[in-house]
Amino acid sequence: MFKIPLSGILLGASKVPTKLFVPSIGLHVSAPMKLKEIHANKVGGKLIIEGAFVPSPRKDHLIPNNSECCSLCNLGLNVKHTDVLILSQFVRPDGCMMPQRITGLCKTQQKRMSKLVSMAHKAGLMCSLAPANSKKDTTKRKLWKKYNTYFDESTIKVYESHFKKIKENVILDYVKSRNQEIN
Amino acid sequence: MSQLGRVKQWNTFARCWHLFDAAWQNPLECAPSIEKYLKGLNKPIYHPLVDCGDHVVVINSKQIAFPGEEWRRRVYFHHTGYSGGATWTPAWELHDRDPTMIFRKAVYHHMKGNLFRRVVMERLHIYSDSNVPEEVIENITNQIPPLRSIPKTLGSYSKEEIEKYPKIIDYPEDFILSKN
Repeated sequence: MFKIPLSGILLGASKVPTKLFVPSIGLHVSAPMKLKEIHANKVGGKLIIEGAFVPSPRKDHLIPNNSECCSLCNLGLNVKHTDVLILSQFVRPDGCMMPQRITGLCKTQQKRMSKLVSMAHKAGLMCSLAPANSKKDTTKRKLWKKYNTYFDESTIKVYESHFKKIKENVILDYVKSRNQEIN
Repeated sequence: MSQLGRVKQWNTFARCWHLFDAAWQNPLECAPSIEKYLKGLNKPIYHPLVDCGDHVVVINSKQIAFPGEEWRRRVYFHHTGYSGGATWTPAWELHDRDPTMIFRKAVYHHMKGNLFRRVVMERLHIYSDSNVPEEVIENITNQIPPLRSIPKTLGSYSKEEIEKYPKIIDYPEDFILSKN
């Protein structure tokens, strides 16, 4: 018999293949390859909560990415904090930034985007994406927060270690190609 | 003289009135452009001793914008003259008391200190919102172009526009959609 680590079932439940399914535990482990939406229906006196599979709402307007780099590096955009239509794609309905494992961006872009999102929130440009009990009118904020602010994107730190690796790779590729030409 | 040349001459020798919308503008950035119209630096007959400046009407001065942490960090100093009479007021606190004062101070301090400065400042009319008296509005003939574009909020776009905008990332395959 296979030995299944328990944490593997709990955390990566959807990634565990169906062959390793153990019925004696009483846990239903499935491998859905679709997006899920949770519906709560009241039938008579019973509350039925079920997860239904739905197609992705972004399927039709998605930009295809065939390169090795992440989808944002591929486009080569200079994103500003006022580009709310782009920034709102990385954000949950309550306004918080989605983690790297969901967005699928590289480390540098993920950090940059999360800072731009916080800038857009501070400037009051994404008020519609906020928790239900929050003040959505920026003029009702406290102290200095009620006044208009804008931000300079050049203040965002760029991590040099990222570029160091790219530079090293460029040099290594160049040396490789030179060696091939000589041979 | 051509018709255009005649109008140019009228505009040069008359006192024109210009409108400036201060919504989302940095007062420190737009002070030089407003000073140009107040002193008449844009006119060919300009001379420091010639009183050829125009009037400038600034509206929506309550909606001025500052970059980053400037609202907290920018401090206005005042001294009463008595010992211990020094006060340091942050920009947001001054703006609470009088929404026109930061703009007026920005233009005043940008100009060179001489005997004409206070005379020129009399031609600057600042209003905190867009409620301007009619006797002022009827004089206005020109609008000074804004330096910064007003940013669009996400709420100003329609739901269709947001949905049809090209998407950069898609949700992963085992993602649970949360309801709005």
